[in-house]
Amino acid sequence: MVPPSSPIPLVSDDDPAGVDFESPTAPSPVVRAANVTKIYTRGSDPGRLGTLLGRPDAPRVRALENASITISTGEIVGLAGPSGSGKSTLLHLLAGLELPTKGTVTFQETDLETLSTRERTRLRLEHVGIVFQRFHLVESLSARANVALPLVELGVGKRDRRKRATALLERVGLGDRVGHRPGELSGGEQQRVAIARALVTDPTLVIADEPTGELDTETGQRILNEFERIADDRAVVLASHDRPTLAISDRIVRLKDGMIRSDGNK
Amino acid sequence: MSLRRRLTRWVGLTRVGLRQTITRATGTDRTRVRFSLLGVVVVIALLVVVTGIGIGLATGTTVYDDDVDYWIVPESDGERSSLLATDQPQFGTVHETTERIQATDDVTFASPVLSEVVRLEVGDRSEYVLVIGVVNSPGFEQIAGVSTEGLTDDDPYYANGSYDGDWTGEVVLSRSASNLLKVGAGDGVTVADNDSFIVTATDDGTSSAGDIPTAVVQLSELQTLTGNDEYDQADQFVVGSNSPAVEDELAGIYPQSDVLTRGGLTASEVTESGLPFALALTAFVVAISVGTLFVLTTTGLEVVADRRQLATLSALGLSTRSQLGLIGVQTLVITGLGGLVGSIVGLGGIRLTNYIATETITTGPIATSHPLFVAYGVATGLLIGILSLPILLILTRRVTGGVP
Repeated sequence: MVPPSSPIPLVSDDDPAGVDFESPTAPSPVVRAANVTKIYTRGSDPGRLGTLLGRPDAPRVRALENASITISTGEIVGLAGPSGSGKSTLLHLLAGLELPTKGTVTFQETDLETLSTRERTRLRLEHVGIVFQRFHLVESLSARANVALPLVELGVGKRDRRKRATALLERVGLGDRVGHRPGELSGGEQQRVAIARALVTDPTLVIADEPTGELDTETGQRILNEFERIADDRAVVLASHDRPTLAISDRIVRLKDGMIRSDGNK
Repeated sequence: MSLRRRLTRWVGLTRVGLRQTITRATGTDRTRVRFSLLGVVVVIALLVVVTGIGIGLATGTTVYDDDVDYWIVPESDGERSSLLATDQPQFGTVHETTERIQATDDVTFASPVLSEVVRLEVGDRSEYVLVIGVVNSPGFEQIAGVSTEGLTDDDPYYANGSYDGDWTGEVVLSRSASNLLKVGAGDGVTVADNDSFIVTATDDGTSSAGDIPTAVVQLSELQTLTGNDEYDQADQFVVGSNSPAVEDELAGIYPQSDVLTRGGLTASEVTESGLPFALALTAFVVAISVGTLFVLTTTGLEVVADRRQLATLSALGLSTRSQLGLIGVQTLVITGLGGLVGSIVGLGGIRLTNYIATETITTGPIATSHPLFVAYGVATGLLIGILSLPILLILTRRVTGGVP
């Protein structure tokens, strides 16, 4: 694992796309969602011509309603709830992948809505690690190249990239699979590659959607230990149905029908 | 970001792009990559073939099969017609030489050609006419657009150089000459004060000499009338053949002679007209347009199909510019490789074109090939890739981002 004192300049002073966030020195809010509502439109809007022709408006789905949550450094927050409860939507909003329809999401006191798409992309690169439910590895790249991909964007040299990616893959138990492509790995192995990729830039916030869904008990526990270990100096948000996964959380936020039903210690 | 880090980033992205392309071409996306490659290969191959034909025309390698294939003319610095040359250096002992040429393999006919402007008279009508003397033989159908059908074969009056054989007095008139003299087949005509000539035929074929009144007679008879019989002289030879290999043999017949082809003459006309340049330029523009549209379509479809991967890259923090960099590397690798393979296929196409042409319609290659065509093909392929990039950038911008 790359130590926090890594030579990677996570904040680029001279890059207009870079977003200047201070690294947390004490437990402090990393990301905060305040009264966020997310409404999706299914299909496309009819447009002027469609309206003139009497085409009805596309149906709208309220995925999240008036949700508020604050996540601080050193905290592991578990999101629990049935399918369709809004867990993934909340994760996406916290990661800056989407903007809320209403309400605000602030990352270290910066409202994400005030950032351009380019700035939000840079923010994710430097500060957010994401583990997707379906992994979303690049099929044409090896496990090591997948893990090292964010480092390419950061301008890290080849040798350093290989070293860091290999070290992380070894830590998740894939030291002997670094050259394999995703298609040659099992679901559990792909999930571990995705976890290694999320951690490679030493992010301030790690967001994981069902991070142990494809893992056997032993490997799952190993990954959870890894999450516990890294949470010392960063915030971790896990969305899961899995009890052991939620068990490592400091706090569990329960969602139902797009609303937060409870937010408290286990 | 410092310049060094920026450079490292682009080198890294290029490496990733290359690795992605290789993996996709050999494993994960073989069919799609091969299809894209095939499109560029076809476009570049056609470009190289058409360019080869254009340059072939420009450099005069083209020899079209026709009634007449080769002209042997005395060496000359100035431009001259292969038929209307008079007062030029002449060849001697042309009858013997003709027999020698006729004995050459692949020669279908050969005849010396003597051209003189001579007065023809019919009654009180008198006109100057271009009189051409030839040795008729099977396969020899016309000279200067006038049929030789009305002449007895093998120039009987020559009689192995004794010039005492049967005087035929045969004369074939072009339509313009017969109109001028108001004579037709069977009428008598006086040629250079010799009144023993009979018009055996009139011919309205098109003459290479334009509308110049022309008469075709036996060579030895014209030689006798014009004083060229002493050394058996003629201005040039016309040789019919379907084989380009004959040209080298003809070049060795007389030491100071040139062998011209009708194709060669055509090529020089084409060069002057700028047609090869227009042909090559058109091929280039068409190749660029078609190639760019093809690459845009195939790569555009790939970009749309890969929108989830682009969204993933965006979620990981790769900027749109970097994503375009990856797509750009893949596009340029495919178009560059397509250019390379296409130009090699094109060179093969030129060989095939020449083979088919020489077997069917020409006596020699119609297209030229050159190793530089490979560089030309690769450069054109890369240009196609570069021209596609702006549209791909717009497309990438539209489909990337969001939740993968």
